[in-house]
Amino acid sequence: MTSYQSQLGEGEGIAQELAESQRSISIAEFFEKNKHMLGFDSEARALVTAVKEAVDNSLDACEEAGILPDIYVEIQEAGDYYRLIVEDNGPGITKEQIPKVFGKLLYGSRFHVREQNRGQQGIGISAAVLYSQLTSGKPAKITSRTKGGVEAEYFELIVDTDTNEPEIDVEETTTWDRPHGTRIELEMEGNMRARGQLHDYVRQTAVVNPHARIELREPDAHIKSERATDQLPEETEEIRPHPHGVELGTLIKMLEATDSYSVSGFLQGEFTRVGATTAENVIDNFRDRHFGREMAWRPPKAHEDADVEAALTDAVANKGADATAAFARRVADALDDSERVAHHEFVAIVDDAADDIEAEYDRSFGSTVRDNAVAAGWGRITGRDSADGGADDEGVDRLRSDLYALADEATSTRKDDATIDGLADRLAAKFDGADDERHRFTREHLREFVRRSAEATEEYDDATFGETARENVLEALWEVAVRVPDDPPKVRTIAAERDTASDLLEAMRETDIIAPPTDCLAPITADLIEEGLRKEFDADFYAASTRDASVHGGDPFIVEAGLAYGGELESESGADVLRFANRVPLVYQRGACATTDVVKQINWRNYNLDQPGGSGIPTDAAVVMVHVASTNVPFTSESKDAVANVPELESEIELAIREAARELKSYLKKRRSMQQRREKQDKLATILPEMAEKLSEVTGRDRLNIDDSLARIMNNVLVERERDGESVRLVVENNADTAAEIELTDIVSGGEPTLENGDASVVEMDGEWFVKWSVSVASGDEATLEYGVDGEASFEVSVDGVEDEKLTVDA
Amino acid sequence: MSTDSDTTTDADARQQLIDLAAEFYDQFAEGDVPRMQIPTRTKSNIEYDEDKHVWVYGDRTSTRSAKTVSGAQKLLKATYTIDFLAEQLDQDRSSTLRELYYLSESWDLDEAQFSSQDESNSLIEDLEIVSAVKREDFHMRPEESGATIMGPLEIREQTRRGEREIHCQEDVGEGGYQIPNNPDTIEFLANDAEFVLCVETGGMRDRLVENGFDEEYDAIVVHLKGQPARATRRITKRLHDGLDLPVTVFTDGDPWSYRIYGSVAYGSIKSAHLSEYLATPQAQYIGIQPEDIVEYDLPTDPLGDSDVNALESELDDPRFQTDYWEEQIELQLDIGKKSEQQSLASYGLDFVTETYLPERLDEMGVL
Repeated sequence: MTSYQSQLGEGEGIAQELAESQRSISIAEFFEKNKHMLGFDSEARALVTAVKEAVDNSLDACEEAGILPDIYVEIQEAGDYYRLIVEDNGPGITKEQIPKVFGKLLYGSRFHVREQNRGQQGIGISAAVLYSQLTSGKPAKITSRTKGGVEAEYFELIVDTDTNEPEIDVEETTTWDRPHGTRIELEMEGNMRARGQLHDYVRQTAVVNPHARIELREPDAHIKSERATDQLPEETEEIRPHPHGVELGTLIKMLEATDSYSVSGFLQGEFTRVGATTAENVIDNFRDRHFGREMAWRPPKAHEDADVEAALTDAVANKGADATAAFARRVADALDDSERVAHHEFVAIVDDAADDIEAEYDRSFGSTVRDNAVAAGWGRITGRDSADGGADDEGVDRLRSDLYALADEATSTRKDDATIDGLADRLAAKFDGADDERHRFTREHLREFVRRSAEATEEYDDATFGETARENVLEALWEVAVRVPDDPPKVRTIAAERDTASDLLEAMRETDIIAPPTDCLAPITADLIEEGLRKEFDADFYAASTRDASVHGGDPFIVEAGLAYGGELESESGADVLRFANRVPLVYQRGACATTDVVKQINWRNYNLDQPGGSGIPTDAAVVMVHVASTNVPFTSESKDAVANVPELESEIELAIREAARELKSYLKKRRSMQQRREKQDKLATILPEMAEKLSEVTGRDRLNIDDSLARIMNNVLVERERDGESVRLVVENNADTAAEIELTDIVSGGEPTLENGDASVVEMDGEWFVKWSVSVASGDEATLEYGVDGEASFEVSVDGVEDEKLTVDA
Repeated sequence: MSTDSDTTTDADARQQLIDLAAEFYDQFAEGDVPRMQIPTRTKSNIEYDEDKHVWVYGDRTSTRSAKTVSGAQKLLKATYTIDFLAEQLDQDRSSTLRELYYLSESWDLDEAQFSSQDESNSLIEDLEIVSAVKREDFHMRPEESGATIMGPLEIREQTRRGEREIHCQEDVGEGGYQIPNNPDTIEFLANDAEFVLCVETGGMRDRLVENGFDEEYDAIVVHLKGQPARATRRITKRLHDGLDLPVTVFTDGDPWSYRIYGSVAYGSIKSAHLSEYLATPQAQYIGIQPEDIVEYDLPTDPLGDSDVNALESELDDPRFQTDYWEEQIELQLDIGKKSEQQSLASYGLDFVTETYLPERLDEMGVL
């Protein structure tokens, strides 16, 4: 190796040679070479991407300003190029900002913001400008007028790819007919082969932005989508990061940047959903990780050899016999009262006793005395020092019996005494031999104790002590151990120590913290999704659902789903899957998207849709739409074409779709049963009249009227008119299994009806009387409407509240 | 239903059918759901009539109602069939069950046509039950079953071509006298018979005739041809009732053959409404009994799964719930074997006529 290096060193050096060609590249240059990452990989796609970036920006701008968007997109053929024009009625951009917004990559207002927005990186529109200047050599032409601005600003500019700074060709003011808004004109290489995707994009944008009016004019087509609602999406709030959503690097940066001094202040100040209690919980977990816990032992009782009282008496010198005895007595009593005691707890007991004795006997118990007392007492408790002086096996015995009880409790009954005994013995030795006399250990440290003891037990005692048993013992030890009261390190310290910061991050993650607030999200809402679908698709049935917010990596998200079925939808290519992220349609990389995967995994047969093989996209005429709204939608790549397969997200997508699909199922079920009923009715409507006719023929009697029989057979609601001179009776007979709520209107002409039923009403209109009657008829019951009218009158009855299939009117 | 068919005239039969149609008509007229109630025709719904000593339908009924499409279709077909039968009676014509099935093809309404002959057969049975008129009186007949009689019996048959007087030994060939579809057109003139011997298989009948069994023992040999047709059962009953002759049944020794005996003696499940008219409760079973298989050490075949199932189902069949049958069936299940009538030939061609039958008939007290 060395010889090779020295060879390299000779002859002017390759490294120097290499160094000459090494230089930093500008971000613009980078993207010039990696157009595909931004969705400009083909000429066909470039046009769609440019439209998408411009429209997304316009929609975001309008919403932020509380303006109902009115967006006009035009694509013109311009010689060898295409000219793209996108105009909006947004708030406009100030003169100073225009060059940066359009002529500088990674310039934006949203990258650092946790809020739901269409654009995020600030790459999109400037990338479109970059693409157009690279392919056509023409600058972008931008016109913008802010609200109340006297004149519009006009710029022609390009991106300087070396410096990633805008290069302005023309800067002037101009007149513009829009009172406010922005217009961008780009010329670029392109083709209209992706017309399908372009139309999909515009159409789908209309679906998820029912508050927007969008118009697309291109050489071969003109699409116009009116707004379906005047309701703007809820304004979104910016939120601080959620403790579950940050990574170590981010955390360290935040620690460095914060003004807070304490961890508690830092947590409460920089994160969402962290108050004093939550901060304390995090800090407790942090203490466990950073300091470890102190093992607590059963204090020896008075009759035992390890006499703490005696040890204390010996340790305290020159304080007078009474005070010393009282002090030792007090500590011993406190110990007798406690089940287990950890080192810091013992320190506190000694301090308390010393304070009391100082007050009572007017003797000062200084820190040296107290330290001596603690050392002596703790030595007895842990068996380090025995009653007759030096350490011996007796101490280990104390710990061993304590540990034996813990381990025996924690392991299954199948472990024999010898095994437990062996483990306890070895564990006791570990504690006894530990450097930290306070017996303060992290969980990892304890795990190591248990592992080594268990392994030794396995090796020498020929016993098995598996993972589960080890974990159980560790858990038992950790449970008994007591959290230390030490103050956590200060923010500055944590920021400087990567391991400590990592402990804090782990502590944040393991603490239960309520989900981030969701007012930073603006779901479309189920109603408006349905409106949107209704507006763009001519179907028989629509359903939509909006899930509650969930969290993935500290970013809240909401999934919504919509379904349209039947009607004029095409069934040839199977159901359409429309994917949206933050109200932006995703029209490429359908196969790579989590949404598509979820749709394919669902068993649509459960919802009465056709799905050959029980998986894949259902083959019915249907539209399945899924909208993911999040402060940070996880995409598979920078071009934001597909949602990544994140389990939390997939599960929410599935639940949202299933929720909407349940409605579809009941609709289809009902439709199917109505269809069956109709088929039955049709069949019976041929069979029974024929039978009746034959019966008349065979018996030689009059023709039969079989309507009543039919109604009864079909379990229908039967409305019959009986007339007797001037009295009219409308009898409603319910043959169905369920009660019928019926609204019956009898239109009487040629005579004024006089009501006998109190609950019916009569309205006259142009010589016709509308007798209206609402009635509820239980299954198998009858209800009668009676009124009187002249003999000359004629009638027309209409019945609401019962499906046509379930109604027979014989009146 | 009367056992004496002479009282049911064509006009009566016609009226019964029209009355049934009128019932449907009235149900429609009242806004009711047309329906037809008939006894459930399964073995769980037959019961022993203590007075008449035959098995008849119990109380359970099923309803054909126009509430369902299939029920409505059945009633439609019934109506069309009633129309057809009434017409047929009017014109004094007759037709076979098979003809009815094909005839339905000519009905203008597709829904009224029969989809199989089983359907038309069972509809005729329904109509028999509901109208209490036998299908013979509707002038519906089955295909000739080809069952025959051979024995010392002289009869007069009322044929469409005039009366014929026939002696069932002297006036017939080896094939015997063929039983007409409606045996009630036969009048018994004279006989020298001692008993009636019903035989399941053609081979055994031919063996008996060849060996002159009918002459030697004055037996009327009735060939059942498998599961006997109604006419065969009817004439057997008339031979018993009218001539006071003991009736015996000789079949193979397997579960299907016991059912043949069962339908001769107790009536069949499908036509339990006619048991009184068709069944001969006094009929005695000769064999082959499972006991005979053991006793005579007959050549056997092992019981198949379907045989075992059939035997077990017979144990549940109320018709076979007698000590005798339970003993025999359990014995057969025990030995797991069955034998044919012809297996007796293993002891020589004359063994059946010279040894087996005389021995069995003697045991049974017939000879």
